[in-house]
Amino acid sequence: MKLSDKLEILADAAKYDASCASSGAPKRASDGNDGGIGATTGMGICHSYTPDGRCVSLLKILLTNFCVYDCQYCVNRRTSNVPRARFSVAEVVKLTHDFYLRNYIDGLFLSSGIIQSSDYTMEQLVAVARTLREVHHFKGYIHLKTIPDADPLLIAEAGRYADRLSVNIELPTHDSVTRLAPEKNVHTIKLAMGSIRRKLDEKAEEPKGPSFAPAGQSTQMIVGADASDDQTILNTAETLYGSYKLKRVYYSAFSPIPQSPDSVPLAPPPLLREHRLYQADFLLRGYGFTAGELMPAAGNLALDVDPKLAWALANREHFPMDLNRADAEMIARVPGIGLRNAKRIVDLRRLRRVRWEDLSRLRCSMKKIAPFVVTADYKPAQGLASSDLLRRHLGAPQEQMNLWPELKAA
Amino acid sequence: MNAAAAVAMVAAGQPLVVSSFLEWRAVARELLVHDVAPELVTWNQVGVLDADLFSGAPDSAPSVDNVPAGLTPTKPAPHIPRALMDMLQSAACCRVPDRWAFLYRVIWRWQHGEHDVQSPADADGARLHAMVKAVRREEHDMHAYIRFRERPIEAGPPQFAAWFEPRHDVLPQVAEHFKHRMGGVTWMIGTPEASVMWDGASLHHTGPLMSSAADLDDAGEALWLTYYRSIFNPARVNAQLMQSHIPSRFWKNLPEGAIVPAMVSNAELGARSTGQAQAVGRKSGATIPIAPADAQPERQQPSKLDECRRCDLWQYATQAVGGEGPKKAQIMLVGEQPGDQEDLAGKAFIGPAGKLLDRVFEAAGLERREIYLTNAVKHFKWEPRGKRRLHKTPAQREVEACHYWLDKELASVKPKVIVALGATALKSVIGNGNAKLGESLGKAIRHEDRWVVTVYHPSYILRVPDEEAKHQAFKVMVDGLKLAQSLLERPPEEPPA
Ligand code: SF4
Repeated sequence: MKLSDKLEILADAAKYDASCASSGAPKRASDGNDGGIGATTGMGICHSYTPDGRCVSLLKILLTNFCVYDCQYCVNRRTSNVPRARFSVAEVVKLTHDFYLRNYIDGLFLSSGIIQSSDYTMEQLVAVARTLREVHHFKGYIHLKTIPDADPLLIAEAGRYADRLSVNIELPTHDSVTRLAPEKNVHTIKLAMGSIRRKLDEKAEEPKGPSFAPAGQSTQMIVGADASDDQTILNTAETLYGSYKLKRVYYSAFSPIPQSPDSVPLAPPPLLREHRLYQADFLLRGYGFTAGELMPAAGNLALDVDPKLAWALANREHFPMDLNRADAEMIARVPGIGLRNAKRIVDLRRLRRVRWEDLSRLRCSMKKIAPFVVTADYKPAQGLASSDLLRRHLGAPQEQMNLWPELKAA
Repeated sequence: MNAAAAVAMVAAGQPLVVSSFLEWRAVARELLVHDVAPELVTWNQVGVLDADLFSGAPDSAPSVDNVPAGLTPTKPAPHIPRALMDMLQSAACCRVPDRWAFLYRVIWRWQHGEHDVQSPADADGARLHAMVKAVRREEHDMHAYIRFRERPIEAGPPQFAAWFEPRHDVLPQVAEHFKHRMGGVTWMIGTPEASVMWDGASLHHTGPLMSSAADLDDAGEALWLTYYRSIFNPARVNAQLMQSHIPSRFWKNLPEGAIVPAMVSNAELGARSTGQAQAVGRKSGATIPIAPADAQPERQQPSKLDECRRCDLWQYATQAVGGEGPKKAQIMLVGEQPGDQEDLAGKAFIGPAGKLLDRVFEAAGLERREIYLTNAVKHFKWEPRGKRRLHKTPAQREVEACHYWLDKELASVKPKVIVALGATALKSVIGNGNAKLGESLGKAIRHEDRWVVTVYHPSYILRVPDEEAKHQAFKVMVDGLKLAQSLLERPPEEPPA
């Protein structure tokens, strides 16, 4: 089979993994002495966007889409009648090099169907990374998918070459995994994440030791392939963040596949739901919100307003907040004020009192913050509007679903 | 230009002509020490297009000797913080006609104590931040959207060539980026204003050498387009969103730009029912013939304990942590629950509390390997605190649910003495949810044909801030373990001393 035919099949098979981040690697540069190429700056770069609005930062492919598992949501499951292909190690190396030199990509994200056994599959993935690093002295970014049942020694080796490792949790509950991914097992998935975290901890304690996945680990959850609600999804995300120090949880709206089995839905969930989950996740990671604060009851995140606004509307006792007194962490909870502006406001306060005009220069969304803040010269009108009214006023029009900048960060 | 002459030039009403940040900085320093107000200075930028960027501007200024009387320094040398200087340096690359005048105004205000000039909430500060942002954005875009094409080998170096039309003066720093990225591979980047070439060892800056993208036939580009078509999910087509990410001026030089319209209209015309690329759907497929049983990975049969669902704690933990020690140990130590480390490793008492326990054993003259160590609750209960897991005391119902497992361990090990570490362990061991640690601390009680000695949990010692209290608690633990040891020798009916 021609290389371009393989690429066609194995890129198509890889597109369901949402992650394309290439940030968080330590600074590396090629000086040309070892014949290698590649550099990392620590910041990921999106080199292109596809017409679905997704960032292209890495060459994202499967080593092979032959797979003995039968995960119902997956286009590559053994009972799926898709064209199959397999790259050789040399082919992946060549593609990575060719794309990298033309500045199409920051590196490689390699995953694979399960062939023969978990260990064998993992060995193949590691072989690609090892060849890139040790034979070709490639210093670009490498993300390796980790096969959860593989020998921890193989996972340790993968971490030596890769900037990031990921083990996909796949679905938000134990029962869903058992039902829809009969060969997978939440217990071993968690054990794999745990073993990666222990390696990361070891490395943190001994910075001089051999490198181990400096950009950390991540995972992905499919949304809408089972009946789990957003509360369940966020609770699972919180559990995984806390337990395994994940850099990111990615949410991938279930995308119907050719010859879909009856066990999964025929229609995708609204993309806005995926977007809201990303927003909520962002608040979990960066803003100190807990899953319980964002989703105090069973159900899904509101679609009409973003999760931070929803929280503020449900917790009016904190507002209006005096920006000349509140601490940075609370200021960042004001709808329309982000972490960076919260810090800027606190910085400015050291010099003088914060005024309404300052907020406009900081490019806060003035309409959004108006009901929630007090400044030296501003107070929201008396007889505060009800949360329902505010919701109607602030919820529309629907903002554009611009989530990929959030995705590429970290 | 000659910085030392700047003050004289201003006095003579002549404009100051600068062509680089370093030059501006030298002049600005000189003006600051003479306290020359921004309104008095006219700055001219050397025309970007007509000047040679790499030699300075012609020096037609009056010489230093001509400094008029009265222009002696009046201010101390300015001390500009690094962060502000970095911002000024970036902003200097921004192609706005008044860049030097604006930068001087900023630095002059700073020098006069107006430190909020650095804040984006100040009008000048906001503009400074905006200029820096525009420059950084341009650097970033150039890092992202430059596309190299491979030249035929016969043509000689550079092996790769790229064309880019930057909006700001960022080529020098962008060249540094690609130098590190391409290693020994040779390349050049052409822009309308200047060019830069990398020969594998050093960078060569020159004037413009190209006037548009090189028309090269590069086989690598075809593979890239194949990839680009396949990685796109037609079921999620959202062209507007895509376009919002990359300004339209870049699309024309991106090879994939040419195929986007067809991809979008195909996706919009097509059923959009699945994410598969059309080209892949047309190829013939194959299922993998393997029996479900053969596809199951080999795994250790999970233990009954790991499959326990008696309470909800398993959902938030990695694994259940069972007891460990000699099958017929005489002393069984019962803690509360595994912690963060234990949860990951699947072993009891290996974290900080376990390390402390080892010291207690040593002080009491006991061997850890002779003692059976377990916990009242087998799964780690925690709550998120920032990025960490914070231990949370198990609820009585969880302690009761998990008693099932402790019972099994007691029945098989049959210890003579149990050492309960802390209140949770005590409640579980004596089956009384109301038991109070204070009442039993350091004592031995008889419970179901066994001695039960209660001491602190080691994590209590780790937690108490006060050294004296730590010391006391440690002693209680050591004494408790000694007591447990001595109870082994004592007939059951005899009460402890
Ligand atoms: S804590 Fe105990 S009772 Fe609860 S699930 Fe775990 S082993 Fe079972």
